[in-house]
Amino acid sequence: MPSLVGIYETPGPVADCAKKLRGRGFTDLEIYAPAAFPELDDALDEKPSRVRIYTLIGGLLGVVTGYAMTIWMSYDWPVVIGGKPFASIPTYTIIGFELTILFGGLATLLGLLVVGKLPYGSFGKADAAYDARFSAEDFGLVVTCRDRDVGEVDAMLRAHGSKEVNVVEG
Amino acid sequence: MTPAPQSDPRESEANRDIMRVMDGIGPGYLLLLGLCVASVTAAGATWIYQVYEGLGIAGYTHPIFWGVYIVTFVFWVGIAHAGTLISAILFLFRAKWRNSINRGAEAMTVFAVLTAAQFLGIHVGRMWKAYFILPYPNQRGLWVNFRSPLEWDTFAISTYATISIVFFFIGLIPDIAILRDRSKGFKKLLYTALALGWQGTANQWKSHSRSVLHLSGLATPLVLSVHSVVSWDFAMSIVPGWHATIFAPYFVAGAIFSGFAMVLTVMIPVRRIYGLEKYINDYHFENMTRFLLLTSWIVGYSYGIEYFISWYSGVESEQTAFWLRAFGPYWFSTWTMISCNVIFSQIFWFKRFRTHIPTIFVVSTLVNIGMWFERYVIIITSLGREYDPAVWGLYTPTWAELTIFAGSFGFFGMLFLLFMKLFPVIAISEVKELEIHAKAHGTGGAH
Repeated sequence: MPSLVGIYETPGPVADCAKKLRGRGFTDLEIYAPAAFPELDDALDEKPSRVRIYTLIGGLLGVVTGYAMTIWMSYDWPVVIGGKPFASIPTYTIIGFELTILFGGLATLLGLLVVGKLPYGSFGKADAAYDARFSAEDFGLVVTCRDRDVGEVDAMLRAHGSKEVNVVEG
Repeated sequence: MTPAPQSDPRESEANRDIMRVMDGIGPGYLLLLGLCVASVTAAGATWIYQVYEGLGIAGYTHPIFWGVYIVTFVFWVGIAHAGTLISAILFLFRAKWRNSINRGAEAMTVFAVLTAAQFLGIHVGRMWKAYFILPYPNQRGLWVNFRSPLEWDTFAISTYATISIVFFFIGLIPDIAILRDRSKGFKKLLYTALALGWQGTANQWKSHSRSVLHLSGLATPLVLSVHSVVSWDFAMSIVPGWHATIFAPYFVAGAIFSGFAMVLTVMIPVRRIYGLEKYINDYHFENMTRFLLLTSWIVGYSYGIEYFISWYSGVESEQTAFWLRAFGPYWFSTWTMISCNVIFSQIFWFKRFRTHIPTIFVVSTLVNIGMWFERYVIIITSLGREYDPAVWGLYTPTWAELTIFAGSFGFFGMLFLLFMKLFPVIAISEVKELEIHAKAHGTGGAH
């Protein structure tokens, strides 16, 4: 099936066009952008990013590990230090806190990799529709559709201000 | 169709301007890099000699067993605070002026933490036994003492190093993709591997923005905790001059103060040499110098409170310690600290000087000097004047300590110079975000 690539200069029209196309039943869409824009976040998928689940689980795992490790180690060979209880919770809170951040941060990185599907593609191979201009200042809206829909999609892309529309055979 | 406004649609102004920094290696750059490498080599040789000869070649003398190495450790950990402050806290506050400086500051954070961490090993002498601090059972099955602030420090610093590197790398991914699309040969291979196949798809950006947001949320309390924990290395003891509840906020403010000063000291020449005036302009300097002014007041206030409380407490040992700080054998370091950190920075009350680059450069450099002396004052004068005058001592840094101290600047400088030629020193995609927003508004949103 052919893919049409509409090139835009600003994110607003890309988001509008993508939503209209989805409304018309086109589901195989992709957007390329040179920077992060909130208007594009929900253009293809309204659901909140699942990265937050990773951060949450990582953080919780961290705090549990922090307390469990310190308390277990203190009881594994109990030594009274400074007249304090074996499990000196206030001081172990610092370890619990640091591990919350550490595990949470590493899990966020993992979340980015899994949810963002990185590393992507085989080494050095990009999508057929990808162009170096998308890491310059242009936006790309890619629609993969049946041959008979090409005319309609092309018209919609242009109606939303696409400065050029290219066809990539996929 | 109307032709594209730019001659080459595959290029943008921000890409060109910022990537120019990475082009070519001039004699000035090589000279600077050579100096850095030379000082690192000298420091490395000194360290090997110290390992062979023992810590006796450092100026440690009873009762002062924390010297320049620990002073320099605290100094570099402090420098490391600006990057996370700028990238995380200012991000959460939506302070858009951070976009031009966050990359440089984040790089400095990572390099400063790496520099600082080495000093713990250098300070303990037998660096190969540094793993003693990790939670593992020794031969008798005994675990580390988690009630010790030094143990907290291990967790705080290693977490900070890890999270700063993660933050730095995540921010770099889109910019590495820009480089990948525009390089050849070995560099292309390197950037292709590091870019992880980034194409800037909607899903990738969405996950990226979320990750940055969550990391900012995690890094904000982290940055406040790290220097608090470092301050507790001192405050948890009963040494006069250390045993104070104000230490945590006092250290955090000082760290941000010195970190911002270092960002200014480094970025001013970079901006000038590579013509980045368009991206780092008066607006940024004005904001950063205001930050310096604010934190200089917090630091100055803490100095005042320290003296007030030592007098008000009526504790003789505290009073003596503070009296001797200002008028004892180390008066020079105390007054350097006060002048550099509190007095000189007051010039930023005047708008004219907040945007006057030579003044900013001189004052930020003085702040760096002052902040190093602040740690010198806190550590050396307090240890040398504990409770019993019979065990008072005087400490003078030796050539070995000073060589290794100088080498730390060489190490930091070397990493930064290499970074400048390998990665964009300004976050290109973040700058573009602002530019494209401006363009969209300028054309009425184009729809």
